[in-house]
Amino acid sequence: MKPISVIALISVLILGALFMYVAEDIPAFGDPKSAPNWGVKLFSIDADEELEGNLNHGIIPVSVSDKIEGIGLPLPIKVEKARGLEGEWDAFIIPGEKYYNSTTIRFGAAPDAPKEQKYYLIIKEGDTIDVYRYAPVIRYWEEGEHETEVPNMVTYILADYRSYDTLGEVTVIFTAGVSVVLLLRRRGKMPK
Amino acid sequence: MSEEKRIRERDVIIETISRLMIPFIQLFALYVIIHGTKGPGGGFQGGVIFASSFVLYLVVFGLAAAGKRFPEGADTALMSTGVYIFAGVGLLCILVTLGTAEYLNYGFIPLTHHFEENRALGMDLVEIGIGITVMAVITEIFFNLVWKKEEEKGKGKEEQR
Repeated sequence: MKPISVIALISVLILGALFMYVAEDIPAFGDPKSAPNWGVKLFSIDADEELEGNLNHGIIPVSVSDKIEGIGLPLPIKVEKARGLEGEWDAFIIPGEKYYNSTTIRFGAAPDAPKEQKYYLIIKEGDTIDVYRYAPVIRYWEEGEHETEVPNMVTYILADYRSYDTLGEVTVIFTAGVSVVLLLRRRGKMPK
Repeated sequence: MSEEKRIRERDVIIETISRLMIPFIQLFALYVIIHGTKGPGGGFQGGVIFASSFVLYLVVFGLAAAGKRFPEGADTALMSTGVYIFAGVGLLCILVTLGTAEYLNYGFIPLTHHFEENRALGMDLVEIGIGITVMAVITEIFFNLVWKKEEEKGKGKEEQR
């Protein structure tokens, strides 16, 4: 056995062990609380009775909205209990995008009142209240089928929400085809 | 001798079976493209399946026959047609609303009276565009590579003689 193959075997084993060590901690379908899957933690503040009561009555506490304004994110307009759970609240914003009502469509007319969108999640954990921002994926999961009437999630994300990206992909494929034509089809025509 | 070898050997079984299979492969490709919004599938996958039928035709019947069935001019034209359909659907949204809607906001194309159904139909049109481009590009790449290979082979034999 050559020394170089021994070194190669050892490094493969070390890499394999390292991979097993890392992969052991990864859940099968990804961490549900990671930033791309679920949301980002923005900040946490101390909990008290008044703050909780305000949230339960649908009033946004000043301490929360001040911190959100300090970060530079859109201010919530209303808050309500998330999925009927105790100690979890959803906060809604008005997004800047245009949305037409589904029953009537008027061309060239002003859009209907903008729809509110779930944006922040406020959770009480022990003595603190944590404020999270939802990932865009949450919106696609919950609203996509209702907004596009397409049951296939992959298609409506790829061709509707991310359609600029798909246009770019198609252009890349087109460029590959054109370059093959330019590089290979130099002399004469294909035999007929 | 070399001249005789260059004429391809024909196999009845392979030719008959692929002649039977190619229409079904193309039908399946169209199914995958059209059902891209309703089930698993989409433009990319359907385009590749469609291209695979032309690849099978070329492998079985040779470059000359395949070039007759799917001429290179049509191939080149279809390649850009797909991108034009995609970009055109996007531009249509701006044109029909006189600039109110954004680019690629399919809901504003007046196909039905429902915003959501317009979005679904716009997605279907876009998938068709993607399918045409992918099909033409994959076929184009394969045809050109085979042509290049055959050309080089022919040249080498001429030099030997």
